[in-house]
Amino acid sequence: MSEPVIDVSGLTRRFGAKPALDSVSLSMPRGAVYGLVGANGAGKTTLIKHIPGLLRAQSGSVRVFGLDPVADPVTVLSRIGYLSEENDLPRWMRVDELIRYTRAFYPGWDDAYAEELRLAFALDSDAKVKNLSKGQKARAGLLTALAHRPELLVLDEPSSGLDPIVRRDILGAVIRTIADEGRTVIFSSHLLEEVEQVADHVTMINEGRIVLSGSLDAIRESNRVDGRSPSLNEIFVARVGMPAAAAAKV
Amino acid sequence: MRPAAAIAWEFRQRHRWGLIALVGYLLILAVLKLLVVARAVPLHLNSPESFAFVVLVPLTATFTYFLAVFTFGLEGDLAARQSMYPARMFTRPVTTAALAGLPMLYGTAAMMILWLATRLFALWPWAVEVPIIWPAFLAASLLAWTQALTWMPYPLPGLRIIIVVLWLWIIDAIALLALHFQAHESLMLLILVPQLPLAYLAARFAVARARRGDVPDWRGAFAWLPRITRIQSRRRGHFRSHGSAQAWFEWRRNGRSLPAWVAILLPFELALLWAADATALVFEVLLIVLLTPPFMATFAAAMPSRSSPNASDSLGVTPFIATRPLTTGELISAKLKMTAWSTIAAWVLVLVAVPLALELSGTSAVLLEPWRRLNEVVGTPRAVVALLLILSGCIAATWKQLVQSLYIGLTGRESLIKGIAFLALVFLFFVGPIAEWVIDNRHLGELWSALPLIFAVLVGFKMIAATWIVVRLYRSRLVSDRTLVTGAAFWCVAVLALYGVLVWLLGTPHFPHYLLMLLAILAFPLARLSAAPLALAWNRHR
Repeated sequence: MSEPVIDVSGLTRRFGAKPALDSVSLSMPRGAVYGLVGANGAGKTTLIKHIPGLLRAQSGSVRVFGLDPVADPVTVLSRIGYLSEENDLPRWMRVDELIRYTRAFYPGWDDAYAEELRLAFALDSDAKVKNLSKGQKARAGLLTALAHRPELLVLDEPSSGLDPIVRRDILGAVIRTIADEGRTVIFSSHLLEEVEQVADHVTMINEGRIVLSGSLDAIRESNRVDGRSPSLNEIFVARVGMPAAAAAKV
Repeated sequence: MRPAAAIAWEFRQRHRWGLIALVGYLLILAVLKLLVVARAVPLHLNSPESFAFVVLVPLTATFTYFLAVFTFGLEGDLAARQSMYPARMFTRPVTTAALAGLPMLYGTAAMMILWLATRLFALWPWAVEVPIIWPAFLAASLLAWTQALTWMPYPLPGLRIIIVVLWLWIIDAIALLALHFQAHESLMLLILVPQLPLAYLAARFAVARARRGDVPDWRGAFAWLPRITRIQSRRRGHFRSHGSAQAWFEWRRNGRSLPAWVAILLPFELALLWAADATALVFEVLLIVLLTPPFMATFAAAMPSRSSPNASDSLGVTPFIATRPLTTGELISAKLKMTAWSTIAAWVLVLVAVPLALELSGTSAVLLEPWRRLNEVVGTPRAVVALLLILSGCIAATWKQLVQSLYIGLTGRESLIKGIAFLALVFLFFVGPIAEWVIDNRHLGELWSALPLIFAVLVGFKMIAATWIVVRLYRSRLVSDRTLVTGAAFWCVAVLALYGVLVWLLGTPHFPHYLLMLLAILAFPLARLSAAPLALAWNRHR
């Protein structure tokens, strides 16, 4: 078996007295799409932020491609595409400047692919980021995360701001494409239907602890009710105690 | 809860610890006074230093704190075009008059109470006749105008800072002039009382504009500047390296503000050369022009750019930047390049504009006579070196202003940044009175004698801090060994070079060589500059 792309071991993170992650351990082999689900405040973003080294492990360890992302950021980050939950693209940049700037950091940047994505996402080269709609900003961020064809794509709540049709078309196509090429995707969401559509593996997190983790098929199989395979939403309700949509509002 | 009570509750709740500390301080003052009055305990608070320590320091600090609290300055961006009035309050079902008036009412009342309580409880030096009413109105009008001007939306980024500083300076100057000419209290009240309704009207206008999202925009007038850089960037094509891309990013984000401010101020300053009695003003104008870049650099450095107003922690490193595949050292290197470009751009403007203005205004001849006399006294080589030294000193001071506080902004911790800015402001308040006290009490001689000791202590602190930081840098591997050694070598060479020049210029018995060496060591940033990678790493990997 190949070395896991992400290996999290005994990761604990506290913000003040409140534990955001409590002894989380997770191993993700190469070439699959991982959905990280949970209510708001469950610890999804905190866990995801440890992968590119935005957060330092207080206790436990995080290894990405076998490396510590805090100690060796250049090697790790050059192989990752990351899309933040926050709309944090520089507002003053134009789309072509954003592409030109981001391209400089990745030797494997694919100009043709970047242009293809720009056209598919209907992004005007001359438009300033601050004048883009929320959905367009998400698309611009996705473009910069994808165009260097990263080995690992990390998406934190990528559906945020996208309308359902675009969300289904774009996200599904992107995630499938990358997974088909043998690359790895991890994304967080509280839209469980979306996760069911694209994820091979699901990790359910609640109050900083992993309550369920495995392949989607295995999870469904092990949670059969009266011979019927339940939806992820039903499993979530059974495990966490409230529907995902309601939990997301908590 | 009624709106007036709700707004008051918010102020009280958010700043309760500060208010508790203030009430505690006033109680202590009251107890001290009671001891003196009731029991005739002989307390010796007549000396200026003890008076300053007991009364002036807390009074000034509280005044500054109130300014920050009641203008909502602790939660806004002073340099932004948008109003600093919190947008969350615009959606409340409250009239604009109340939105502007209530914080102003609470703020001015707090300022007046602060003064009256201090006046009542403090032990003032017996010889001083302290006025009661007008200082309360001065403090209230300073706050009211600060509120109005900080809540106003502005057409250009950073314009708020200049207008606020200038306007408050004008009010302060009027009050000082009135004091100087021993104006009667009634005259002072005549000047100060109308300020409150005027400030209220301005604040109401400002909040109304901000509430309907009306932010004037004059950036179009300067649109040709980005267009030029845009044409250049298109011509350049792709970046040579990730380092040049990051340096470009830093320049676009932070680097252009200093040259832009210098370009805006220079025409006004140099226009004085065309004044009626220009010949008498030439040296003053040149002095102002030479001081403009370092002075504006302090403003540029004090305004850490908010990466994104949408980000949850807008002063921190955004995920977009933190996830660039660059080492922390490379990120710092891009920032240092930006500060160097910014300094050069600002000084190119000065060095082109000044000779042009002198020539066109016909005032260049005024400089020839002093230059000839200087040549006669010290010789041409020393005169040329002195001139170059002054110029390079100003350029270095500009760069130093940009980099020496870099590490504070790079921590990304809002409370730390604002806390240090607050302390710096308090310090600025005291520099004047302390200097005046030193001069008035003829302590200059003592200060001069103590200067080597003061310098030696400062150098000791600097070297201890630098050693600690370098050890941390070495252990954390944030910068390479080669960078550490090169940086240290460069710093040593710069210090030795400055020392050599100082010895050559000032090497007299009045200036012992060791004093010049201490001065050279203090002149070049070391510890604070070295702390920048540590601060950024602390921010980048939280």
